[in-house]
Amino acid sequence: MSQRVAVTGVGLFLPGFPNATAWAEKNELPADDPRKPGGLAYDRVNRRRASQMGRAIGDAVAEAMAAANVDGVTTPVIVGSSIGEAGAMLGLLDKMWREGAPMSPAVFTVSVHNAASGLLSISMKNKGYTTSIAADYDTPAATLLEGIGLIATGTDAVVCVCADEASPRALLEHSPHWDMLSAAVVLQREGAEGALTHLTVDDCNDDRSGITIAPAEFAEGFAHSPQVGMADLVDAIQRGQSGTLALDRGNGRGYRVTIGN
Amino acid sequence: MRPLLVTGYSMLSALGMGRQQHVDALASGTTGLGPSPIPLEFATATGAVKIELPELPTDMLPWSTRLARMAAALLQEIDEPLRRAREKWRPERIAILLGTSTAGAETTEVAYRQFVEGGKFPRDYDFQRQHTFGAVLTVVRKLTGCNGPSWMASTACTSSGKTFATAQRLIEADVIDAAIVGGLDTLCMMTLQGFNSLQALDRVACRPFRAARSGISIGEGGSFALVERTGDARVLIEGIGETSDAYHISAPHPQGLGAQAAMSNAIKAAGRKPEDIDHVNAHGTGTHLNDIAESNAIQAVLGTDVPCVSTKAYTGHTLGAAAALEMAFSACAIEEGFLPPAIGDGEIDPKIEVKIPTEKTTGKFERVLSNSFAFGGNNVSLLIGAP
Repeated sequence: MSQRVAVTGVGLFLPGFPNATAWAEKNELPADDPRKPGGLAYDRVNRRRASQMGRAIGDAVAEAMAAANVDGVTTPVIVGSSIGEAGAMLGLLDKMWREGAPMSPAVFTVSVHNAASGLLSISMKNKGYTTSIAADYDTPAATLLEGIGLIATGTDAVVCVCADEASPRALLEHSPHWDMLSAAVVLQREGAEGALTHLTVDDCNDDRSGITIAPAEFAEGFAHSPQVGMADLVDAIQRGQSGTLALDRGNGRGYRVTIGN
Repeated sequence: MRPLLVTGYSMLSALGMGRQQHVDALASGTTGLGPSPIPLEFATATGAVKIELPELPTDMLPWSTRLARMAAALLQEIDEPLRRAREKWRPERIAILLGTSTAGAETTEVAYRQFVEGGKFPRDYDFQRQHTFGAVLTVVRKLTGCNGPSWMASTACTSSGKTFATAQRLIEADVIDAAIVGGLDTLCMMTLQGFNSLQALDRVACRPFRAARSGISIGEGGSFALVERTGDARVLIEGIGETSDAYHISAPHPQGLGAQAAMSNAIKAAGRKPEDIDHVNAHGTGTHLNDIAESNAIQAVLGTDVPCVSTKAYTGHTLGAAAALEMAFSACAIEEGFLPPAIGDGEIDPKIEVKIPTEKTTGKFERVLSNSFAFGGNNVSLLIGAP
C-alpha cells in the first residue's frame, strides 16, 4: 500500500459537463451547446496548439489547481493518457499514406504523448518537473503513484490529471467505444490545509471483494474510457464518500484507491 | 537524494547487441549509422538495429512486434541480475518503468497503409496488443514475472531518463524495492517524415558539435537497467535533475537555461560540486540549435574543461530510448576507463566552447553527467557515479 496523501482539489471535463461542480450538480449543458473544452490552463497561443484532449486536460487542471489554491509556476503536473495524441498520429498517417502529402511540422510536434504537459509548462511558465505517462487501464493508478512518489520525496503539491480522447474507431472496431474525458486531483502531504480527503493506492491482486464505493453513474460512452477510474475518484470525493474504489472498473490489473479522512 | 543502485544493464542499438559489442565499437570509433532500411524520398542516415531479434514465446505471439522483440532481447542481457533480484524481492515489489516515444507506431503505420490501400487492416493486427504504451509492459511482465507497478513514460527524447527518477522516488516512498527501468524505440516512417518536415535531419551521418552539422540521424534500440534498493551496484545514479524550458514546444532555450538547471539540480541532488564531474555524455543531437544551446549550458555549469561526447554519432538519436542508452554508455566510461572519440565529419564548430575530444581518452572517470532534452522543453540530467 502506498503512503497516505491529501487531496486538496479536483477537476473534471466531460462533454456536457465542463467542470466537476457541473457534474456534481448534474447540471448538463444543453444539447445544442458545442460542449468543447476551453483549455483554461493555457495561454492563447498554446490553447490554439492544443488538441481537444489537451484542452480537456487544461480545463481539469485549471479547476483542480484553483480549488487547491496552488500555483501553476511551481506545481508539477503529471499527465496520464493511455493513447495520448492518437488522433494526431492517425491524421498524419492518413495524409502520409492516402495523399502522399508532406507532413505538417506543426502537427508532428504536437503529436507526441507529452504535447499537453509541454504546452502546460510553457503556458504556466513552469520550469520544474513535468511528465507524461501511460499504462492502459492502469493509467489512473500509475498517475497517482507517480504523484505519491513526488510527495514522498519532498514536493509540496502535484497535479495528477488523466485524459483520453475518444477511442479511435478505425483501430478499435471490436472494442466498446469511449468518449473523451479528463479528470484531475491535486495531491499534497497528509494533513495539508484544506484537504478534501486523503487517499492511499494499492494493488488488490485481483481480489476485488473489498470495493465499497460504487463507480460514478457516467453515461456508457465514458464508462469504457481507460481514464474513467480517475473520474470515478473525483466523483466519489465530490460525493463525500469514504471507502475503497476500483481505479480500473475491472479492466486493468486491479489497482484501487482508499479514500477518507 | 539517496543513490539508486544499478545492478545490471543491457544495450541494443545500431552498434549491436550487448555491452561488449558496444564497448568495442566505442573504443574503435566505429559508427553504426548507415542507409535507411525504410525507403525514403530524401537522403538521411539512420541507426538501424541489424541483428535478428528473438521471437516471443508461442503464447505471446499476438504481442509480437519489433518493439516487443527488442524488449525480449534487452531482457536476455540482464537475466542473471534479474534472477537474483527475483530471489531477493517479491514480484509485486519489482516495478517495470520504461520509456518510449513511438510505442507501436511502426506496426500501426504498416497496418494503416494496408487499410488505406485495401480497406482492411491485416488480420493479425491488434492495436491494444501491438500499439499501445501498455503492450510492451505486458510483454515484459510476462517474460520476467515481475508484477510491481508498471508504466511507460512518454516525454519524447527524455522518456527513458525519467524512469530512473521515478524508480528512485518509488523506492524512497517504499512502494517498490527494485525496478526494470530504461526504454526502447523503433525506426518508423512517421518519425523520419516528421523530423524531415522540421528540416532537422542531416543528409549524411549526424555530426554533433561540428561546424558543418545540419541535423540528426534517427536511430533505434534501447537499454534496460535493473535498479535496486540494496545490492552490488555496478554504478550509482547519484543525482537526477528534471526541468522544463517553458519556452517552446520543439526548440531549446537559446542559452539552455532549462538544461543548465537540470545539470545543476542533478549535481546538487548528488551532494556534489561541478568540479567533481569528469565527463558529459551530451544530448548532442547534431542540430544547430541544440548543440549550441547545450554547449552554452555546459559551459555555464561546468566550464570548458570537461570532455563532452555525443554518442548519437554512433547510434543515431534513439529518441525515447536515448537517455537510458546513454546512461549505459556513461556506465561503460566509468567501468572501462575510456571515453569514445567524438566522431563525425568536419571540424569542431569554433562557436562550441566546451571540450570535444576527437580521440579516444583513457583515464579514470568517476562521475559522468548524461543529458537528455526533448520536445515540450523537457530536460533530464543523470549523474552517474562509480560505486
